[in-house]
Amino acid sequence: MTENNVSRRDFIKLSAVGLAVAAGVRTITKVEASEGAKGEHQWVMVIDQSKCTGCNQCNQVCHAHNDINPDLEWNKVLNAGEIDGKIVYLPRPCMQCEHAPCVEVCPVGASYYRDDGIVMMDYDKCIGCRYCMVACPYDARSFNWEAFTGENPAVPEWGEPEVERRPRGVPEKCSFCYNRIDRGMAVGLVPGVDAEATPACCVACPTGARAFGDLNDPNSNVSQILRQHPSYRLRENLGTNPRVYYLPVTDNRIVEG
Amino acid sequence: MKLLFKTIRETVRDNIRTPWGIWLAVLSSFLLMALIAGLSVFWFGLSITNLTDLVPWGLWITIDLSSIAVSAGAFSLCAGVYLFGLKRYAPIARTATFVGLIGYTMAMLALILDIGRPDRFWKSLVYWNTHSLLWEVTMCVMLYLTVLLFETMPILASFEWLRKKYPRIAEKMESVHHYAPVLAIIGLGLSSLHQSSLGAVYGVIKARPIWYKPEMAVMFMFSAIVGGIALTLLASMLSARLTPKAKVNDMLVERVAQFLGYMMIGYLYFRLWDWLAQTYTYEPGRTEAFELLTKGTLSFNFWFGEIIFGALLPTFILLYKPTRLSPFWRMLGLAMIVGGVIAFRFDTNLVGFLAVISYLPGKAMISYTHYTPSLVEWASGLGIIAYGLLAFSIGVKYLRVVDHRITSEEHETVNVTSGEAVQA
Repeated sequence: MTENNVSRRDFIKLSAVGLAVAAGVRTITKVEASEGAKGEHQWVMVIDQSKCTGCNQCNQVCHAHNDINPDLEWNKVLNAGEIDGKIVYLPRPCMQCEHAPCVEVCPVGASYYRDDGIVMMDYDKCIGCRYCMVACPYDARSFNWEAFTGENPAVPEWGEPEVERRPRGVPEKCSFCYNRIDRGMAVGLVPGVDAEATPACCVACPTGARAFGDLNDPNSNVSQILRQHPSYRLRENLGTNPRVYYLPVTDNRIVEG
Repeated sequence: MKLLFKTIRETVRDNIRTPWGIWLAVLSSFLLMALIAGLSVFWFGLSITNLTDLVPWGLWITIDLSSIAVSAGAFSLCAGVYLFGLKRYAPIARTATFVGLIGYTMAMLALILDIGRPDRFWKSLVYWNTHSLLWEVTMCVMLYLTVLLFETMPILASFEWLRKKYPRIAEKMESVHHYAPVLAIIGLGLSSLHQSSLGAVYGVIKARPIWYKPEMAVMFMFSAIVGGIALTLLASMLSARLTPKAKVNDMLVERVAQFLGYMMIGYLYFRLWDWLAQTYTYEPGRTEAFELLTKGTLSFNFWFGEIIFGALLPTFILLYKPTRLSPFWRMLGLAMIVGGVIAFRFDTNLVGFLAVISYLPGKAMISYTHYTPSLVEWASGLGIIAYGLLAFSIGVKYLRVVDHRITSEEHETVNVTSGEAVQA
């Protein structure tokens, strides 16, 4: 019986220690989390649905520049219904959420935030558990079920690969062409203004339906558009705070366009 | 080398016609099939499965979740024996511990198959995202597997060959049982954490409203405890009927089975409220998924697998004295509970994927997808189960895993023989 009492006391002690440790860990992660995504620049994309014709060229250049398996898509162009007999399209890149479910759930931290808000994938760290795909509300991630070894049919017609191909067994997604942003800024270019520093899809769009820029800069293209036009984001009720804004199709703008 | 082959050949010849030999042959053929399937998964990649971007988790995750769930007998019975002082149940806890060790290794095997980069498995231990529930589950499972290894050491020490060849090591391993109460405390903490967190893995996914509820954690924990105890009792009773190597004290088993019956009422209570709550108001995605469960493709699994045969009937069987006292009905009831827990895991995982919620603006559109495990998934999955059965059979035959007589001296409890009144 005495032995029993000791073990109960031990149990309480151990629980207390465990709780203290758990509480400590919580505080640490909170500090880290509150720091996220507060860099000098906050890149956002604005997609004007009244200008999008569904031509799929953004998707093609995306496949070329990011060397994507033709079976996978980072930037699906979806049919979003009809208004007055005209089909409305909705291109869907990664939303680069401020509160990204994929970053929250990744057990190894292979998905992470950059200071400028871009949600990154460390393809070398990923173990391929696919929890991020389960958590993503936008279906923005495609899994490499098999290795992409063949030739890329989008190259060279739509551009040249700028990043490394991902290996088999990891999910991949749109990165706002962070490589173009970084290389461009290193030589003094401005993303959203200079084509070399802007995501390939925005540069390629023949109707100019995609704008890109820094939301922290009140004079940037995107800041001005978002001030002047009503916009919406996808599944806003989830609180993910996406960095891709859509300008809805309105009747008068269709007539204009 | 020649001698080795000769011994193997002779052993095979001696055993092949016995029930044990046939059992081993059947399990080995499943294992061989799984080996081929597993190797082809590693070689060709996950593209040879029926998993898709829309259903990225399928049969393997069910096996993973279920084998962890039905291993929960280990922590709950050890807690009962070493923390709540129910020492006469120590022999059942011994069986449960061994079942637990097997279950967790089965889960590891399923996970290795399931992750896209099995070669990077170690990264889950090195790189931490403490915010992720899967991180917490990984940590707890690894730590708890270690605890289980320590807890099973006294059992492994009863291996005849080890006792004869390395008596000192066997003695050391056996002495670990002195730490049983401490191990039970750690085991209880770790298990409570990750058994619930496995439910929360689903419960925190806001994008899929059928999962997004706090009771996921509670129901996973609760169903794991009932499933774990049920499997332990079932495995004990079944082995006692199949081999003279296993001996059970039926009175002990019957008492635990009755307790399990009451636990099942608690489980049914949670399920009832969970079910009722889902039927109110329309929520895009949740309502459609719930209809898949109650009226659609998963309805047979749900009503028969989870509710009627998985919970209602076995509760009745275990609480109604005549059926509980009959070994046949009791075993049937226990098997139903185990099946119910597996069905619950399978349906819960799948239902969140099958109703696909559109992210397009305007009125929410729901589309449906489907998933049937491929042959490779089945072959490797059944192989993992065969491994579990093989490990348990070996345990029963050589390690006296199901033996309700021996534990009295091993864990210094009172001697109990069937029919005798017990004073704890």
